[in-house]
Amino acid sequence: MSGQRVDVKVVMLGKEYVGKTSLVERYVHNRFLVGPYQNTIGAAFVAKVMSVGGRTVTLGIWDTAGSERYEAMSRIYYRGARAAIVCYDLTDSSSFQRAKFWVTELQNFEENCRIYLCGTKSDLLEEDRKKRGIDFHDVQDYADEIKAELFETSSKTGQSVDELFQKVAEDYVQLMAFQVMTEGEGVDLSQKNSTYFYSCCHH
Amino acid sequence: MSLKSERRGIHVDQSELLCKKGCGYYGNPAWQGFCSKCWREEYHKARQKQIQDDWELAERLQREEEEAYASSQSTQGAQSLTFSKFEEKKTNEKTRKVTTVKKFFSASSRTGAKKAEIHEAKAPSPSINRQVSIETDRASKEFIEFLKTYQKSGQDIYKQCKMFLEAMHHKRELSIEEQSECAQDFYQNVAEKLQTRWKVSPEKVEKAMDQIEKYIMTRLYKYVFCPETTDDEKKDLVVQKRIRALHWVTPQMLCVPVNEEIPEVSDMVVKAITDIIEMDSKRVPRDKLACITQCSKHIFNAIKITKNEPASADDFLPTLIYIVLKGNPPRLQSNIQYITRFCNPSRLMTGEDGYYFTNLCCAVAFIEKLDAQSLNLSQEDFDRYMSGQTSPKKQESENWSSDVCLGVKQMYKNLDLLSQLNERQERIVSEAKKLEKDLIDWTDGITKEVQDIVEKYPLEIKPKNQPLAAIDSENVENDKLPPPLQPQVYAG
Repeated sequence: MSGQRVDVKVVMLGKEYVGKTSLVERYVHNRFLVGPYQNTIGAAFVAKVMSVGGRTVTLGIWDTAGSERYEAMSRIYYRGARAAIVCYDLTDSSSFQRAKFWVTELQNFEENCRIYLCGTKSDLLEEDRKKRGIDFHDVQDYADEIKAELFETSSKTGQSVDELFQKVAEDYVQLMAFQVMTEGEGVDLSQKNSTYFYSCCHH
Repeated sequence: MSLKSERRGIHVDQSELLCKKGCGYYGNPAWQGFCSKCWREEYHKARQKQIQDDWELAERLQREEEEAYASSQSTQGAQSLTFSKFEEKKTNEKTRKVTTVKKFFSASSRTGAKKAEIHEAKAPSPSINRQVSIETDRASKEFIEFLKTYQKSGQDIYKQCKMFLEAMHHKRELSIEEQSECAQDFYQNVAEKLQTRWKVSPEKVEKAMDQIEKYIMTRLYKYVFCPETTDDEKKDLVVQKRIRALHWVTPQMLCVPVNEEIPEVSDMVVKAITDIIEMDSKRVPRDKLACITQCSKHIFNAIKITKNEPASADDFLPTLIYIVLKGNPPRLQSNIQYITRFCNPSRLMTGEDGYYFTNLCCAVAFIEKLDAQSLNLSQEDFDRYMSGQTSPKKQESENWSSDVCLGVKQMYKNLDLLSQLNERQERIVSEAKKLEKDLIDWTDGITKEVQDIVEKYPLEIKPKNQPLAAIDSENVENDKLPPPLQPQVYAG
């Protein structure tokens, strides 16, 4: 059945046609896949097993509908996400404005979600530098301000695609290691829960 | 009660309005004649006692359970024994509930009275209860079978589940959110224990968690699915009505990338609708999720056949919305709420099932909020469609692109075909008639011709020897022939 274990939920956000789906396609179908997963019918949900420093991590990559008519519902999608890849089209400044919208949403409603800014279609800039719609330094400043990683990728050539997802997985593993170190509080909470929970039977 | 029905209007004895405890405040029939403060005290006392009783019972049951489990691994007999007790207790509780429900609602609202009736109807029919208990019985047998593969820790798991079910039994009065929290805590605790204390491998933990969920939720379903304490039912009806009102929405308005003219695609669409409707019939949250996933897979196939490329989320969500609008699945909100509250959270938040479930939530949210803008329509058009004044299908009924029911579409196609066939048959019949006429004419013509010829050249039959003579006479007529040789006599 479809019960593959997934460690990290990664949501893809971005305006329509910025190339969220292509990015995932490029990443997933370009590499050897570990595990018995088969998902040839759609790229909307993909589970990808990868290894980071000897550990295996399974990314569950959630594609989302970018159309403005579903904007009100986007909150349902990124609930519980540990990472969000916010995409914008490097040649289209309006798509960056929309990206900013998602960033604000994420900051307000999903604090634990790490943000990765991703400018897509960088191959178009190789052809013609004038096509760039948003200044790189502006974006870099913005990324620093929101403490996000910034990538410029091309699904056509594969530039920086693997690096982006690798970074997502690495950050997750690091975060987990950090949490193990400071677990004290977490255990405390669950203990409180369990006594509350079984109180009637222990007495 | 009879007193009350005799008295009409607003004539009420002042003393009857005051708190039964005589504290001077006004009482309320909903609080059994107490004022709010006294009622709380009374109720608290009663509840404390109830909890105390339940504890004792739970402990006793627990002991019996453990003994039974230890004595026989199969526990079939023991199971039914404890079960009958369980059942007995359940019915007790139910009758108690019925009376309170009646008290609460009989005077005030009609829907309440109806609910009480339903309750009443449920309580005295043991056949229904029996039916349910058979199903739960089967679930627990399967569960015990499954736990045997976990040896020692299996027993512990079983104990934990039993304890949890008992605890939930006492928590039935709590709000559904609190009950849900208990269930979530339970999942988390058991999963943690499996991993850390019993050192079970991660895959086996997953499997065990699925089985645990199946076992406990089969039992709890009756009490926690669409409970009366919530407005789930009301929400269900609102969504259902909303979907009915939106019957005019076409795939084009939603930008659905699915072409139902292709028979395979329309097949997939039908299957997807069947799956999403079937969700309501499942008890275990995971089974309900499986229905949603199955439905989604069919949608992906439909898109893939239509577009000839893998579907993205931009294709999937509109199609799912369309399927939900077309299928109008029963008790949609109740099901979503139930899954959210009682599904194992790790499955719901990250995995593939979770993805499709989230999309379904999104689809429902979209349908609830849907307005003119979200369909790219003008407000006037939207209002007119919503009020039923006009329907978009009438304007484009010629090319069948509107969301006319598939069956009707097929019917019209068949009618078309039939009329064509009819035409052809008529043509064949008329051709055949012509052919027949031609044939008759031809025979007549031939006969006539033959007759003419016969008349023109009548046949003269001569005597039988005549021909011979004729030959001779012909020869006779040949005068030019030299005279026949005469025998010559030579003297000599």
